[in-house]
Amino acid sequence: MLNEKIHTGPVETPKTVQETAPVVELPVQYPKSESNAQDIVKVVNLSKQFDGIEVLRDINLTIKKGDVVSILGSSGSGKSTLLRCMNWLEQPERGSIHLGDERIGINPATRKPLKYKELAKIRERIGMVFQSFNLWPHLTVLRNVMEALLHVKKMPKVEAEKIARAQLEKVGMSHKLDSYPSMLSGGQKQRVAIARALAMEPEVLLFDEPTSALDPELVDEVLTVMQSLSKEGYTMVVVTHEMEFARNVSSQVVFLEKGILIEKCPPEKFFTHPDSPRVRQFLKLDGA
Amino acid sequence: MDYYGWMQLLQGAWTTAWISMVSIALGVVIGLVIALIRMAKLPIIDQILGVYVSWARATPLVTLALFIFLSFPSFGINLDKHFSAILCLTLNTSAFNAEIWRNAFLNFSSGQKEAAEALGMRRMTYFRRIMFPQMVVMSLPALVNEMSFLIKGSPAIAVIGVVDLTRVTNRIAAVTYEPLLPILCAGILYMCIIGVLIKLQQMAERKANYLAG
Ligand SMILES: Nc1ncnc2c1ncn2[C@@H]1O[C@H](COP(=O)(O)OP(=O)(O)OP(=O)(O)O)[C@@H](O)[C@H]1O
Ligand SMILES: [Mg+2]
Repeated sequence: MLNEKIHTGPVETPKTVQETAPVVELPVQYPKSESNAQDIVKVVNLSKQFDGIEVLRDINLTIKKGDVVSILGSSGSGKSTLLRCMNWLEQPERGSIHLGDERIGINPATRKPLKYKELAKIRERIGMVFQSFNLWPHLTVLRNVMEALLHVKKMPKVEAEKIARAQLEKVGMSHKLDSYPSMLSGGQKQRVAIARALAMEPEVLLFDEPTSALDPELVDEVLTVMQSLSKEGYTMVVVTHEMEFARNVSSQVVFLEKGILIEKCPPEKFFTHPDSPRVRQFLKLDGA
Repeated sequence: MDYYGWMQLLQGAWTTAWISMVSIALGVVIGLVIALIRMAKLPIIDQILGVYVSWARATPLVTLALFIFLSFPSFGINLDKHFSAILCLTLNTSAFNAEIWRNAFLNFSSGQKEAAEALGMRRMTYFRRIMFPQMVVMSLPALVNEMSFLIKGSPAIAVIGVVDLTRVTNRIAAVTYEPLLPILCAGILYMCIIGVLIKLQQMAERKANYLAG
């Protein structure tokens, strides 16, 4: 039933060196013909329960390189859970998630959960930005971004600092390198959090309502950064309530309802003539 | 008070200081280890440690000191009185420190850990680099408080014959027949020792302001 893939030896993790082309080329050795080299994330028949209640049911979703996927849906529909399954912060009961041609969370040969360090290895390739920023308050802005480079990637300090500075420049936070997170506004914190994720050169970036904790006047500075990332070709999955962002920036819109994926299409279609009546109702398209 | 009296007084201060410092150092580390083990919630071990913590926190130091000093010889083990004193103070302060550390664990937000996990950070790295430094700064006021309680409670070890800073004043007074001066000096020396700790605490609090937001 499950779409299990057979793996052929270790996969090389390609790393780009140029800062101008951060999107990583994927290896082109796919075992199954239906897979496509352009697929970065594949979610297959994913189901997840909390305390016996199904919050995700049979989700299938393919995310291609350069895609910006907006996930919409009402509160409690399972958007965060779906996103968190993608880097195994939540463990689904059924189905599988693949990053490139590696399976996340489960060893496909033994069907057992990955060891923590194997999981950590694959998580390095997935960036995540949280609603509540989750910066480390005891470290300066610069150190927040350097930390994983130094202690996960084990980079020399000089190199880590160079990358951290460049990423902070990109999100417009170069002027606050030595500030502590408590001295920053919400929008600034979120931009630092984005730089922290970018510094690891992830193959895909997950955003869980990145602007929901912000004062309205600070939302735009974060959305602007995200829009520029999409132009650079980053692959992004964004849970959001920002309709403008979903309409103007994303390449695909996904709608979840009670744990079921009921619509997936480009924004042009989604916002004008979606197939699902529930989406029409959500967007108040029927004038009712 | 003659030269000999002053020397005795300083010796008493030294005894109090070194026994307290050893107990404090052991107590902070053992308290952390207990808290770490308890956070793992291992069935029986957790209950045993829970009982120990409640027992040690409820037992007066004098009682504990006498208990240690009298009970070991009945098993045929003769303890040095200084060793007994350290054991007594450490048993007591470890229990209080374990609760302080445990509180720091329980109050730590899960978000910082998720951010670390999402970046592929290993658990040990997360603990060492992210969680522990903040726990130290946040717990330090409570830890320093507990340290000063230990020093102020340390005269209890005189019951098993350790000549500490308080006890020595009796001895001096027995010779000079002027009890007020030595006890006054002892009070000042206690204040100096604890003053150093308070200074430490203030530095920690200033650092903790960064972590507030
Ligand atoms: N850790 C958990 N334990 C138990 N139930 C949970 C847990 N996390 C989420 N849920 C439940 O799962 C369902 C989906 O939650 P989820 O957070 O994914 O929704 P969401 O679409 O992100 O909602 P929101 O827009 O409010 O963030 C909800 O009913 C929620 O109560
Ligand atoms: Mg959510």
